[in-house]
Amino acid sequence: MVSAAEIRIALDQVPDPELPVSIVELGMVQNVACDDGCARVTLLPTYTGCPALPMIEADVRDKVGAVPGVQSVEVAWCYEPAWTPDLVSPEGRTKLRDHGVTTPCCGQQPTVTLTTSAIPCPYCGSQNTRLDSPFGPTRCRSIHFCEACRNQFEHMKPRS
Amino acid sequence: MTMQTMLTDPLAAIVLIHADDLLMLGHVQSDWTGLAPILEEDIAASSMAQDDLSHALVLYQFLGDRFDLDPDAIAFDRSAEDYRCCDLVTVPDEFDWAVSLCKRWMTSLFAKLGFDRLATVDEGDLSDRCARLADEAAIHVTHLGNWMVRLGAGSTESKARMQAALDRLATEAGMLFEPPDKALAESDGFCCGRNEIYAEWLAEATRVLEAAGLTSAFTLPDRSLEGGRRGAHAAHFTSQLAEMTEVRRSEPATAW
Repeated sequence: MVSAAEIRIALDQVPDPELPVSIVELGMVQNVACDDGCARVTLLPTYTGCPALPMIEADVRDKVGAVPGVQSVEVAWCYEPAWTPDLVSPEGRTKLRDHGVTTPCCGQQPTVTLTTSAIPCPYCGSQNTRLDSPFGPTRCRSIHFCEACRNQFEHMKPRS
Repeated sequence: MTMQTMLTDPLAAIVLIHADDLLMLGHVQSDWTGLAPILEEDIAASSMAQDDLSHALVLYQFLGDRFDLDPDAIAFDRSAEDYRCCDLVTVPDEFDWAVSLCKRWMTSLFAKLGFDRLATVDEGDLSDRCARLADEAAIHVTHLGNWMVRLGAGSTESKARMQAALDRLATEAGMLFEPPDKALAESDGFCCGRNEIYAEWLAEATRVLEAAGLTSAFTLPDRSLEGGRRGAHAAHFTSQLAEMTEVRRSEPATAW
């Protein structure tokens, strides 16, 4: 018998294609089950237009399918609950910050919005920052500028 | 089930309004990739076009599940008169950034209000899907509204170009609110009422235009006036549709 815990260990090996974190650390794994060798994984899309989603799905099929005892893999995308950066794990937050991408603090949404709050700079910690654009290099990231250390940095967009 | 069953379903008509608007808007706006006036807006405009296409797909997938149809077939294989988009989204902008911006702002605001309403409809996972879409569309509305104000309140030239774009698109904008079929025209569908959604759209549009120092004489056309939502499309829609579906029609089994 394959346990859900074994499937989760395999999912920890599925990286986000563009960030140094796994999909488990990003909080994208909503549910895992395994029944008679049939693994079922339910994932939360970060943003609906993210082009990495099909790559992630294929990688999940490969990694989970390679777990001994797994005969088949079903992957479902679900829209409720909605993914938010609140779901990123503490380890994921640390890795993202070291990569120059900040994450909103848990529980701050929805009162903290992109335009009304200063996001602390991941390089110097200054709050003297401003939004450059809500549309960054990927669908889940916005671009900000730190007036103190003059660096540009990225932020995981809070849900509006 | 067949495509015909879907095309005569009242809820599908409302879902298709938004799906078709965003499919065509995303297609047309992707022409701007690499050409927008500044780098950040090039990324933003391309990202929004990408969102528009994905939002259309989320809605086509809902219809595909409900009517047992391939979402790509819904998106690409209908005849022109079965598309329910309004013609505002395919009005040629001739690479005038002001026209592109006004068009996207007006359509996004309408889509956001539509998603808010569909998020209250108890049919499968439609409400979950549309709550997500409303959330993402809100980012478009805010961003585009900020640019309306920035350019409207900018230089003499930017203001004049924005005003000219608004004047050019005002009539088409009213057709955002055309009822998609006769049955809905009688029951005043749109999950609430055409007058109500128009009033909400106009209030928000007016708030932004006032901040931008721009004016526009929007009106709600008589409901008997037939446009794109009931299949009476302008020539610019049919040419855009033909261009978009060319590969699919020549090689129906192609995947990439």
